[in-house]
Amino acid sequence: MADDGPSKYITLVSSDGFEFVVLREAACASPTIAGMLRNQMIEARTGRCSFAEISSIILEKVAEYLSYRLKYKDKLDVPDLDIPVEYCLEMIVAADFLGLDEQMA
Amino acid sequence: MLINIFLRSRRPNRRIMGPQSALTDFLATHNISAAQIRADADARRRAAQSNQDEPGEEQSDHASAPPPAPEVTVAPSPALPTRTRGRAATELTSREEKRKKEQKVIEKIKASKKFQKRKRNLDDSDDEDDLALAIFQERSAPLPGQMENCAVCGKRFTVTTYSRSAPDGGLLCTPCGKELDQEGGAPKKKAKRASGGPVGKRRQMQSTILDGTYRPGAKSLMTLCIETLAKNIDLAEDLGDLPPLVIDKIARKLSKHRLLNPTTLHLFLQPSAEEVYIYDGAKLVATDYIKIFQMVPSLKRLKIRNGIHFKDEVMEYLASRNIDLEELYLHGSNLLSQDRWKLYLEEKGKSLRSLRVYWTDKHFGDEVLSVLEAFCPSLERLKVSHNQQVTGNGIKEIAKLKSLRHLSLDLRNEVHSDVYVSLLSEIGAGLETFSLSRVPDADNTVLDAIHNNCRSLRKLRITESDAMTDEGFVRLFKNWANRGLAFVDLEKCRQLEASHPRENPDNVGFCSNAFRTLMAHSGRTIRHLNVHGCRHISESAFEDVFAPGKTYPELFKLEISFCEEVTDFVVGSIFRSCPNLRELNVFGCMKVRDVRVPRGKILVGVPTAVGMVIEGDDDD
Repeated sequence: MADDGPSKYITLVSSDGFEFVVLREAACASPTIAGMLRNQMIEARTGRCSFAEISSIILEKVAEYLSYRLKYKDKLDVPDLDIPVEYCLEMIVAADFLGLDEQMA
Repeated sequence: MLINIFLRSRRPNRRIMGPQSALTDFLATHNISAAQIRADADARRRAAQSNQDEPGEEQSDHASAPPPAPEVTVAPSPALPTRTRGRAATELTSREEKRKKEQKVIEKIKASKKFQKRKRNLDDSDDEDDLALAIFQERSAPLPGQMENCAVCGKRFTVTTYSRSAPDGGLLCTPCGKELDQEGGAPKKKAKRASGGPVGKRRQMQSTILDGTYRPGAKSLMTLCIETLAKNIDLAEDLGDLPPLVIDKIARKLSKHRLLNPTTLHLFLQPSAEEVYIYDGAKLVATDYIKIFQMVPSLKRLKIRNGIHFKDEVMEYLASRNIDLEELYLHGSNLLSQDRWKLYLEEKGKSLRSLRVYWTDKHFGDEVLSVLEAFCPSLERLKVSHNQQVTGNGIKEIAKLKSLRHLSLDLRNEVHSDVYVSLLSEIGAGLETFSLSRVPDADNTVLDAIHNNCRSLRKLRITESDAMTDEGFVRLFKNWANRGLAFVDLEKCRQLEASHPRENPDNVGFCSNAFRTLMAHSGRTIRHLNVHGCRHISESAFEDVFAPGKTYPELFKLEISFCEEVTDFVVGSIFRSCPNLRELNVFGCMKVRDVRVPRGKILVGVPTAVGMVIEGDDDD
């Protein structure tokens, strides 16, 4: 792969093989993902992060959240992202794993 | 025509109004004109008539229908040729034409203003077509005053505004309508929820700005999920395997929205849990508390706020079970009697390491404190807050607790300073936290006692002391063998004298020299400093402390509200000297007007158009 600097996008892979392409900047809102993409980890070289415990539906919502967060960074009067009730609990687990806890500066 | 308008505009005040009835006057004040209503009704009736009589003719919505006379003469002529074609064919074509005409009318409705308006007000996903159909049916329904056949019994009756509509369309006569109501068949209009809408959102935002908790940008994913969960908590049966920190967050959120009740309590009682934190026990009764102990046998840390129903029977149950609590935090448990407190401490005091009791006024007093020495040998943390019963005698008992590390008192009785002095001389050496809230009578002797006895203090709080002076504080911090403090709260240690507010001849309170000495002593370690209300700290003291050469690397949160000598320059110096400062509170510092806040810092208390909090974005 021609390597002229890290690609702008990275791929998140769910447990059942679905892949979601998101902006690197958006994904690094999660400290876990940022850590995976750092240094010389395999994920950093290939630009793919696999999450064996997160299903595709949840990961899709996570990808949506990451883009939403980037879009509304530092803005006032932000509309809330809708989370369907059925996935609420699993989303909490995923949010905890990815470190999307407190509002980071 | 033109001339008429001209004339009218020239003499607008010449219209002579005749006598009007009181009712007309009243309606006129509400913008209701009887003549207008009559004209509208006539127009509608004519429009409806022409709709029903002439299948081939189109009707416009708001234009008043042409007067009936010419219509009558025109109508027969086109009707004659159609009738000669034959009855059956006529009916077929007339039905088709009717359908086509209906379609056209519906399309016109969709283009009309009324439809657009209603469409905007739709609060659920109604189909647009449904709405158009509804308006169409409204139009084609017979008007009040006309005769109509009842849809159910076929009787002729006069349509009124109260006539119910049958579920399949058409109208019902009064008896049939009453029957329908009894059955409850009439679909009720959906009650419109008074939603906050944009006003509610903005108010919430302003409220968080004033609180100082406002953060721009999107909420964290965890917050969004927990909010959704809280809104739909009745659907949740089990919280599954979530980590304890997450469970705690959910508990807090639910308590905040007052959703913690016996049903939702179940979600937090996991058999393997060691801690149960209930942030709002207002809806829980004694049996619920007992249930906690039944379902969580390995409970170690218990925290209940607003635990009003934590009564004697609960305490008895707790004392009789195998649960050995290490931390007990009870807030608002006023129904516990003194005997039960003593019983619990006698039975279970051995394992108790932390006891925090808030807002209990009557029964947690000196006697309970007196048994602590005998039964709680490993007690490290004691906090008695908002208590009316404990007096100096109780504090003398506390002095006997040699294992105590953290002591926090917020008492309402007057306690003489000597009591504190002797307390400190007994256990001061081991104390890491010493907090006395609202002690107007405590004087310099207490400060001297701290100076002489405390060696491992990290957190110090003395608030609302009227008697301590600048000198006393200087003596405390000068050459003190204690290492630097991390948390200092000296809120409102100032002179309370209305007759000469600005002069302070005896230097009462925490003033300039004390401030200098404090920062010289603890500057390297201090993280959190609160000198709210210490008005007599002079500008030069601030400038000396935050001079160009000095840095305070650990200082994270600084509150200097109502220190009136703080200026813009001082604030700027503070930002320069404290690289890791996150929040600076200058509420009521009137000389702070225009300050540039560096990026990443928050300045609270300077009123701007946006609110009281300024998020720094200045790149210096």
